[in-house]
Amino acid sequence: MKPRVIHLTVNGEQREVSVSPNDLLLNVIREQEHLTGTKYGCGIGECGGCTVHIDGQPMLSCLVLAVAVDGRAIVTIEGLARNRQLDPVQEAFLDHSAVQCGFCTPGMIMMSRALLNENPRPTEHEVREFLRGCLCRCTGYVSIVRAVLAAAERGAGGEERS
Amino acid sequence: MTPAERRYMSSDELRAVGSVAWRKDGVAKVTGAEQYAPDIALSRMWYARVLRSPHAHARITRIDTSVAEALGAVCLTFADIPKVKYNERIVSTPPHLYRDRYVLADKARHVGEAVAAVAAPTEALAEKALRAIKVDYEPLQTILNAEDSMRSGAEPIHASVRLGDAEIPIENNVAVTRSIQVGDIDKGFAESEFVIEREFTTHPIYHAQMETKSVVCRPEPDEAITVWATAQSIHNVRQLLGEIYSIPLHKVNVRRVALGGTFGSSIQVNSVIPICVGLALRALRPVKLVSTREEDMYDHVRYPTNIRLRLGLKRDGTLVAGHMRAIVDIGAHNIQAFPFLGVLAGFWASLYRLPHMKYEGRAVYTNRTPSCAMQGFGAPQVTFAVESLMDEIAHELGMDPIDLKLKNYVGLGGTFWGHGPTVQSIVRSDGVPELVGLGAKKIGWKERPRPGSQTGRYRRGIGMARGFHTSGVGHPKATGAEMIDYSGAFVKINEDGSVDVVQSLMDHGGGTLEAIAKIVADELGVPLEKVGLSPVDTRTTVYDVTTHATRGVYAGGAAAQKAARKAKAILLDYASRLLGVLPEALVIEPDVRLGQGVIHCPSLADRRITVGAVAKACQVNSWGTIAAVESLRQVNCPPAYVTYFVEVEVDTDTGNVRTRRAAIGSDCGTVVNPDLAAGQLTGGLSKGAGYALIEDCRWDAQTGELLSRGFWIDGKTPSVSESPLLEDVHTDFAKTYEPSGPFGAKGLGEASTNPCAGAYANALYNALGVRFYELPVTPEKILAALQRKEPAYDARDERRTAVAPAR
Repeated sequence: MKPRVIHLTVNGEQREVSVSPNDLLLNVIREQEHLTGTKYGCGIGECGGCTVHIDGQPMLSCLVLAVAVDGRAIVTIEGLARNRQLDPVQEAFLDHSAVQCGFCTPGMIMMSRALLNENPRPTEHEVREFLRGCLCRCTGYVSIVRAVLAAAERGAGGEERS
Repeated sequence: MTPAERRYMSSDELRAVGSVAWRKDGVAKVTGAEQYAPDIALSRMWYARVLRSPHAHARITRIDTSVAEALGAVCLTFADIPKVKYNERIVSTPPHLYRDRYVLADKARHVGEAVAAVAAPTEALAEKALRAIKVDYEPLQTILNAEDSMRSGAEPIHASVRLGDAEIPIENNVAVTRSIQVGDIDKGFAESEFVIEREFTTHPIYHAQMETKSVVCRPEPDEAITVWATAQSIHNVRQLLGEIYSIPLHKVNVRRVALGGTFGSSIQVNSVIPICVGLALRALRPVKLVSTREEDMYDHVRYPTNIRLRLGLKRDGTLVAGHMRAIVDIGAHNIQAFPFLGVLAGFWASLYRLPHMKYEGRAVYTNRTPSCAMQGFGAPQVTFAVESLMDEIAHELGMDPIDLKLKNYVGLGGTFWGHGPTVQSIVRSDGVPELVGLGAKKIGWKERPRPGSQTGRYRRGIGMARGFHTSGVGHPKATGAEMIDYSGAFVKINEDGSVDVVQSLMDHGGGTLEAIAKIVADELGVPLEKVGLSPVDTRTTVYDVTTHATRGVYAGGAAAQKAARKAKAILLDYASRLLGVLPEALVIEPDVRLGQGVIHCPSLADRRITVGAVAKACQVNSWGTIAAVESLRQVNCPPAYVTYFVEVEVDTDTGNVRTRRAAIGSDCGTVVNPDLAAGQLTGGLSKGAGYALIEDCRWDAQTGELLSRGFWIDGKTPSVSESPLLEDVHTDFAKTYEPSGPFGAKGLGEASTNPCAGAYANALYNALGVRFYELPVTPEKILAALQRKEPAYDARDERRTAVAPAR
């Protein structure tokens, strides 16, 4: 298939990448942008490990064709912290030991960040509802829900830096 | 530090052990910087794909790779691989290691078995080449359950396997059997006043670790290879690759990368690892192989079991005799059937005292996904059976199940079988009574409903089960072990007072390495933030068997402590020269203001020096580096006890079960990482509830394909929706001290899930008055059982419902 050049803003940087029409955004992020924090867990939208923000909305990058997001702004887990200053959601995950193996963590954090952007003070039920597409096999989710509620309590809501 | 010394320390002197801090790999993990095997990318790297059998059982008569090769791919088939039969889990000692597989299959024995592999410059080209390979299969009888497999005339799955230097024949597809006897069960049952027998069936489930099994291999210019792989032991990967490809071990370097969870799924050297190495050696360039989720689901499952359990007791509830017959479906390959049969007996013998016991286990090959260790290795299966039956017995005898269990359990001073009949030690720490009391109070045990007394749509029930996991497989015997069990560590004190811990131990994510850093910090008397966990590989570390059997902190931690203690002795010796004080009179303590350890003599206030100043003096005076390397094998395997109390709510219209509350108690000795330890327990609840209620793996009876078709959602891994609300989950730790563990610690990880299914089964009995003997207890099974029970159900007669199994 003939490659096509697309333009993306990735974590605030302008990027020009050559992609095949069938290239998934996940693979472009991981293999061309070398941002491996976005994880392959299933490739078919079952686990949430590949969640990124596209123009501020949480999306499963394994289900998005790269050519379909030409001209859009992508934020990956690597783009949340700036100048080594962690996002409050990242801090809350560490404070509440919501990180074990860490493989679901990038997707969980991107999804939680999206929730707090949309709803700065979610209830426990709202957090559970929002995160139910993100699988974690280590924690039993307890520490993760606690971390997201704690981040909300600290006023982590509102728009992320982009 | 000896236990005696420990008694004289105040709790604040244990500064790192028991403290809560951001985990050392935490920032890397929350920022996406952590590197797992699939994140490794190298220049000139090619991508691999594996051709897998669509047949459950078939001879491979011809493989044609010519078209694939013409596309520019490098191919690997059975013809190209070394004809070395191997077992991927080299934890058992050679006399007990059954070897039945090659790098690529000589015959397809399950759907998804690797038949050929390709590497190409892009993943797309690799996939195209893969599809161009032509394989001729000659299908054979497909056997998907143990009963059919053992029947005479069934197609042999393996004609013979390697054991030691011999090729041994396999008859009736029985891979291995084990019989274990203590006392005389005929006498025991004759003396019993109450005898009960039930059959329990446990099912296979998928590990569902987030990271699919992956590997990158780079051939080096000097005929060496460097490997990054999803693995629970980098040294076992090294040794097996050296054996298969005849590469001297100093030329096989396996580097540690983070693990995206394993739950036992990478205790073995995963089959993709030697395949990728074979491709890289042919392509003479780096090759990367990342399993798809579907491939991963066809790789391994938890061992399913059929357990017939007969117990005999006195009327007062004293256990006298037990007879267990177990049939284990091991799937297409024997990964660890021999130890598995052993642990079923051992974990059974260690739950409750049985003066007379007999165990007969059979492991049987079938044409489905191979069974392998999964969190608890035999304990979830056997604990479900025993804890269900003990609950039933208590109701039969009119006893409180807690009283029956406390009367009979193997506790302080008892003999614990950590890993089958050859791994035994005496219990020296026991938090069971404390945990049972705590859990009963938190869940409201005394206020639980009478079994089957409810009639509405929603019925609630409380169930209890207890159990344990071993802490490692150490035991006192010097030779003849079935299992390898030791760890090594290298501890180095740097010239600024910081410390490097160089240890090949793996952390599955639960915080094993965090615990190591804390143990080393406290042994040396330096602040936790001054202890670094070095990136490691097999060339620069001493052997560590593998992180399994809940041995990471207990055995790996003890090895690190031993090395730190030796380094500390060297440090104090040099400090003694500098301070003019005998080393025995010196102590080291972390100094918050200086941010490092300070060595001083309590009775001579002016004799003080920092750890860094001593190390620097050693360097500038050319005395040498302060460092020590040690190996350690524990000679005990203390039980890490866990108790479970769960409250369920059953919707009798739909059969759905909701977890209302859970109180989980752990006796892990000294709690090294309190936050991560609690996380282990809540994770154990999620996986245990999934096992008890929803998760399953089934194969199509005709095709041998997974009915989930490799879709994760259809494997039913629990999501956050299945977990209880925050205020409804309680985790508690017993205040115990294990004399043989580092700073009193023993294991925790696997124990956290082991009794869970038993607790759910007992809670469902309490809610519905129906016993379930087959896992998972799905909504369908609950509705079917209720339909059978309700017409004739008499709520006043508990005994009648207890003896009428819902089958």
